[in-house]
Amino acid sequence: MIPEWMKEVDDGPCSCSAVYHGKKGFVGKTIDGIFGFLQEAFVSETYAKRKGLLQTLDPRAKLISILTIIFATSMVGDLNLLIAVYLATLLFAYLSRVEVLFFIKRVWLFIPIFAGIIALPMIFNIFFPGDPLIQLAYLGPGAVLGPFSLPESIFITRQGVNMAIIFTMRVATCVSAVVLLFITTPQQVLFKSLRSVGVPKIYVLTLEMAYRYIFLLMDMVREMYTAKKARTIRSRSMFEEQKWVGGRMGYTLIRSIDMSEKVHMAMMSRGFNGEVNVMQEFKMMHRDYLAVAAAISFSILLMLIAQDFILM
Amino acid sequence: MHIPDGYLGPYTYIALWIIMIPIWYYAGRKLSTELKSRQVPLLALAAAFSFVIMMFNVPIPGGSTGHAVGAAIIGIVLGPWAAVIAISVALVLQALMFGDGGITAIAANCFNMAVVMPFVAYYVYKLISAGTDVASSRRVIAAAIAGYISLAIAAAVTGFEFGIQPMLHHTAEGVPLYMPYSLGVTVPAMVLEHVFGFSILEALITALIFAYIQRTDTTLLYGEKSATQKMKKKNTSTA
Repeated sequence: MIPEWMKEVDDGPCSCSAVYHGKKGFVGKTIDGIFGFLQEAFVSETYAKRKGLLQTLDPRAKLISILTIIFATSMVGDLNLLIAVYLATLLFAYLSRVEVLFFIKRVWLFIPIFAGIIALPMIFNIFFPGDPLIQLAYLGPGAVLGPFSLPESIFITRQGVNMAIIFTMRVATCVSAVVLLFITTPQQVLFKSLRSVGVPKIYVLTLEMAYRYIFLLMDMVREMYTAKKARTIRSRSMFEEQKWVGGRMGYTLIRSIDMSEKVHMAMMSRGFNGEVNVMQEFKMMHRDYLAVAAAISFSILLMLIAQDFILM
Repeated sequence: MHIPDGYLGPYTYIALWIIMIPIWYYAGRKLSTELKSRQVPLLALAAAFSFVIMMFNVPIPGGSTGHAVGAAIIGIVLGPWAAVIAISVALVLQALMFGDGGITAIAANCFNMAVVMPFVAYYVYKLISAGTDVASSRRVIAAAIAGYISLAIAAAVTGFEFGIQPMLHHTAEGVPLYMPYSLGVTVPAMVLEHVFGFSILEALITALIFAYIQRTDTTLLYGEKSATQKMKKKNTSTA
């Protein structure tokens, strides 16, 4: 006797293939997420290997330069200035042989999600009063929404739009600079260069090791989810599925701690005694000093203008 | 929960850097005496795990999926100080590799997720589970409550950091420069969103992971080693 559920025909595309376009469950989403991560890591490595302007800079010089610029940018409140810095990041992306379109997409992909949620309500007069730009609705006096009392009419304010644009631009400029830093620098080199901003050796080593083991653990997670997908005929109740995920997380945790013990023993047997030595293979050239000097003076300039703006 | 660059003004993020540096320093000192040469591999793997835990999608009602922060279970299993470093490393990796969380806001994010969360979780768990057997179901409930409360409090702290921005940074005309909403908006928004949503998931996941570890190998739990190792020899986890 064949049970009823086995006779059911699923006419959707085969969910076990890699190119499944239907509605994704949590299993599919996890596998996709992991592939996305691996691809992301791979793509940024290919950019880091190109021979562009930023790639040839000493990583320490690059790290310090970009960090000071980000700190300075975070203090800027003037839209024109922010646009100028943003355009400068685009110029550097171009000079570093990163496709500018890819770069813009990479930065703005996340901005609407992060900043948009915050910035969008700012433009209405519900939160901040201002001069009306476009009237949206007339509610009449005494309108309320839950515990909040609403103004008589809802409109988009000039100040609100201005504020939202400045806010979004600042976030975008900072993200742009960070993206520029990490797509032009191989990860291991980037971590090593953290020494130059005062991160202790032991954490530089921890970071480097963590980075490597992320790939291993992620592969393990992907295998678990793929194995589950391969064996799933009918989905179980949500709690059962959640229990499965919880168990897998617990297992991953146990495996990581277990692995750390083995890694520790392997390190010990090779002569590790808790002392950390990080190889210093970087060499600062004249142009690196020049880059740092330029970035710092630019950042100071930005901050000075920003302070003036606040004082005005 | 990851605060990007440009949300917090310089006063706030610099203040949080000043708060975080001694915490990191103390955690590092404490761990290096406790763990000795084991410190680097254990923290590296724990950091990798903290990173990977967010990759696990969990089905939630409505056919959607969510993911846990995981700081609560890491605090309970590794102890709060190891969690500070492990989660901080994971957050730094996320900021440097994906721009997930800002560079200037690293200290703020670490404070919310790598200090507030594991510490609250660890002490709530300890308080509720005090005096109970390692395998008791009360400990699972303790873990769930720890996960729930720790995320809710971390969200409230994040909301507070957001909410003080308009007071600290605004132009002469009173136009806010950073996060524009006041405490009256940000704290309720962050707390409500978590209390009725993410915290429930965090509680569930924390409890499920805890229950799994309880069934598999309780010697892994922070502070449980000496008592249980006498009772039974270490279970080898099923591969």
